[in-house]
Amino acid sequence: MADAPICELKAVQKSFDRGGGNMLRVLEDINLDIRPNEVLCLIGPSGCGKSTILRILAGLIDPTKGDVRYHGSKLDALNPGVSIVFQGFALYPWMTVEENVRTVLRAKGMPEEEVRSRADRAITLVGLEGFEEAYPRELSGGMKQRVGMARALSVDPEILFMDEPFSQVDALTAEGLRAEILDIWEDAERNPSSILMVSHDIKEVVYMADRIAVLSANPGRVRTIVDNPLPRPRDMRSPEFLRLVDQLHDIITSTELPDIQVSTVEPSLVPDMIEPLPNSQSTDILGLMEYLETQGGSSELFQVVAATHVPFEKVLASVKAAEMLDLVDTPKRMVLLTPLGTRFIRAGMEERKEIWKERLLDLKLFRVIRDMLEFHEGKLTREEVLAEIHSRLPMENPELTFETLVAWGRFGELFAYREERGVLTPE
Amino acid sequence: MIHHLLDTVWGQATALMYPIKRRRWVDLLVLLAGCAILYGLVVMGRQWTGQHRPMVEIDLSPLSLPKYTFFSMMRGLAAYAFSLVFTLVYAFWAAKDRRAEKLLIPLLDILQSIPVLGFMPGLVLALVAMFPHSNLGLELAAVVMIFTGQAWNMTFSLYHSLKSVPQDMQEAATVYGFSWWQRFKWVELPYGTTGLVWNSMMSMAGGWFFLMITEAFKLGDKDFRLPGLGSYMSVAVEQGNVPAMVYAILAMVIMIVFLDQVLWRPVVVWAQRFRVEETSQAEAPRSWLLKLIRRSRLIRWLEARRAHLVAGAYPPKPLPAGRPERRMSPRLRGGRWVANLALATLTVISILTAFKLLGFLHTIPVARWWDLLKAGGLTLSRVLISTFIGTLWAVPAGLAIGLSPRLSKILQPVVQVAASFPAPMLFPVVIAALAAFGVGLNYGCILLMLLGTQWYILFNVIAGAMAIPGDLREAATSFRLSRWQRMKALYLPAIFPYLVTGWVTAAGGAWNASIVAEYAEIKGQVVSTWGLGSTVSAAAYHKDLPMLAAGVMLMSTLVVVFNRLVWKPCYKLASTRYSLTK
Repeated sequence: MADAPICELKAVQKSFDRGGGNMLRVLEDINLDIRPNEVLCLIGPSGCGKSTILRILAGLIDPTKGDVRYHGSKLDALNPGVSIVFQGFALYPWMTVEENVRTVLRAKGMPEEEVRSRADRAITLVGLEGFEEAYPRELSGGMKQRVGMARALSVDPEILFMDEPFSQVDALTAEGLRAEILDIWEDAERNPSSILMVSHDIKEVVYMADRIAVLSANPGRVRTIVDNPLPRPRDMRSPEFLRLVDQLHDIITSTELPDIQVSTVEPSLVPDMIEPLPNSQSTDILGLMEYLETQGGSSELFQVVAATHVPFEKVLASVKAAEMLDLVDTPKRMVLLTPLGTRFIRAGMEERKEIWKERLLDLKLFRVIRDMLEFHEGKLTREEVLAEIHSRLPMENPELTFETLVAWGRFGELFAYREERGVLTPE
Repeated sequence: MIHHLLDTVWGQATALMYPIKRRRWVDLLVLLAGCAILYGLVVMGRQWTGQHRPMVEIDLSPLSLPKYTFFSMMRGLAAYAFSLVFTLVYAFWAAKDRRAEKLLIPLLDILQSIPVLGFMPGLVLALVAMFPHSNLGLELAAVVMIFTGQAWNMTFSLYHSLKSVPQDMQEAATVYGFSWWQRFKWVELPYGTTGLVWNSMMSMAGGWFFLMITEAFKLGDKDFRLPGLGSYMSVAVEQGNVPAMVYAILAMVIMIVFLDQVLWRPVVVWAQRFRVEETSQAEAPRSWLLKLIRRSRLIRWLEARRAHLVAGAYPPKPLPAGRPERRMSPRLRGGRWVANLALATLTVISILTAFKLLGFLHTIPVARWWDLLKAGGLTLSRVLISTFIGTLWAVPAGLAIGLSPRLSKILQPVVQVAASFPAPMLFPVVIAALAAFGVGLNYGCILLMLLGTQWYILFNVIAGAMAIPGDLREAATSFRLSRWQRMKALYLPAIFPYLVTGWVTAAGGAWNASIVAEYAEIKGQVVSTWGLGSTVSAAAYHKDLPMLAAGVMLMSTLVVVFNRLVWKPCYKLASTRYSLTK
């Protein structure tokens, strides 16, 4: 009994209707369980459906296929043992700190005295005494998230769900909040028994989690589940800690940059195969290459993350993008400038754009769009392009791909786009 | 400015009295105000249920004006109460029921475009028939007519707010198990309050627009008249009594300022807490009355009692014992049935009304239709010209006021009062003046429309100018842009979204105004010029129902089509290209 999971997902699949009968599959065959007395973290690149998994487990949305189980029985409604700490806090700005907490207790139908005493206890627990009468707009991000935590803890949840809880909180405050939430959780006598946290910060995940589910995107799948045996309290600077961080980096990188060398530029064997575009701006790619140039043309992936303070998944997207354009190469964890990349970064703006344009036309998607432009006499509507993207890249979010396509195409002076008219024209 | 002045005067008065009376006088004031309201209501109740007199004699002495003003104000407030209830129910229904939404929103669009006169004959005849022995029917008809000038705007505002509640706020409500009622009162209604308050102020002003018609009108051979400020003005105009006209205009201004100070200021200040945006405002609105009320011990005591009662009124419901809650409770499914029934009823009524209308329209010969269309085109061009002229002067003036904190502080309240003042009350005076200069109503009515609508443009331009971010203005200064360059590169694009809102309101107001601007009765003589507005007016006065139906329908069609073809693209352009928030 002790190890029977509190909550489970069995073969869960989820598709969203993107309008016009287009279904975008975001989750594929997810199996996951939350056990008593553990911290489970979900990590993965953007678009892997981490938040969707959390919402399905909470019963906020239904899976398209598969089961959600709570203590062994099938759940087709709100999960009664769960409360959520939201990324954007989700506090009601017209209520004071105290009212925000009391309101959720009143919604449970508790008598007024209990509402008050429980709210007081929760507010004390997260260190908000003295702020009871403050409105959320008067508080900093960290304090707001404390209110979110007090509210979530006040209802005495069996599992505490946290959806990227510290991504809108400054780094120092986040460090403190993490330790505090673990302190509250470690009290075995009291709820929450378990914590489910969604995050994109590898260090945060290694610090918090007992088990780490690594997801991959398009559609979202559980790539692997890594156990974290490090004893608590954990030291973020200890060698074992850093080793686990590196190991996780490798796992995520290998799921995202499989060692198929895209850099050998050969027309692919299947003529209609199109590579999805990583969602990265040309300025980010330029920035990455400028950085590599200062490092003598090569650097370790995580070195880039650490040195530039750019979130890991953003760096990863830029690296993928640069590799697609044949500007960098990624043997293992290294990122190095190709000869073309070196020429590119040392060139002036004119030549850079020339190279960029040439590389773009090496990508099938851009050739398709260019041909379509010719065919439609130099005018393409956004809808036409979206439809094309959707038919060729059914697993991708067409709007995001379109955004990237436009951004890259503009930089390469391949085509121009007027947003208010929604028309793509050749430059 | 008035508010500011009162604030200082009151502030000093309070400071003087504080040591002597220890604030007890505030309580006395609250009590007195309560008694006054009670007395007024009793008088009004007597008038409402009194013997049926279709036409009361209006006493033109200024001494009876306070009573008439009070009656009119109460009608406006009663209509507002109706509007508020209607808004809460209709907007909630439209926002929550996907199927009903498809009927409710277009219906609201149509209702919004129908001028008050279109509702008048049906309403009056039906309600008077319902209460043949008392004044209640006629009073109700007047209230409902004011309601038709208020409600639609508010409903749209709340509907849009309900549809745009941030997703995480909704999810939090779901996770913590709010019932639909708790969600409405703790999340959705607070989120919509700011918009609702501003639109309430606008709507209240809109409701006064036809005050003269709603209180005194002819329907065929019958002359209806209710005691009130509007009928006072009508009688004064009929008799050509200039001093009485001036008194009535003054009374109207006083009523507007009074409502602003006593009702809207406190409400706006109170609604501050429902602001969603994070940035603190440069200058928060203040209200001397709210400050006063918050000092009253009597009110504090009443509030404490109320809180006590409320806490006792909800018996604690048993805690859910670990069982998963259904996302849709059985009670809500019961509500589903009610909603379906209501939707079916509404659909049947809409279809019946449409048939009835078709029956009316059938009797109108084709040649008359052709005339109507030409009249519509003529009035449309008048509406556009008046909007154009309004823009021409209101943009520079609005920019000058909005960009100068000193000017805007002084002039904004004045503009607010001017915008709330029902322009038709000024029409007789202006028509007389125009006649003296030899200008006919054909062109003169453009000026009349302008009187009613320019304020909307000015008001919005001021708001837009005040919202231009400081850094953009600083950039323009540092690059030494000339006045004209600054206008072209910064000011005009930045105020464009506000200007579009101003245009839409102004054009809508101008259509409404055309009904009274193209057709007036002064000293028993009809002064009119050809146009759709005068056609509608004449049809109403001669009880020519088919013609009235045709005219009103054509007008609302023109308004709706114009909205679709011109204003909607403008809005889209404003929100994509000229939006400063994204």
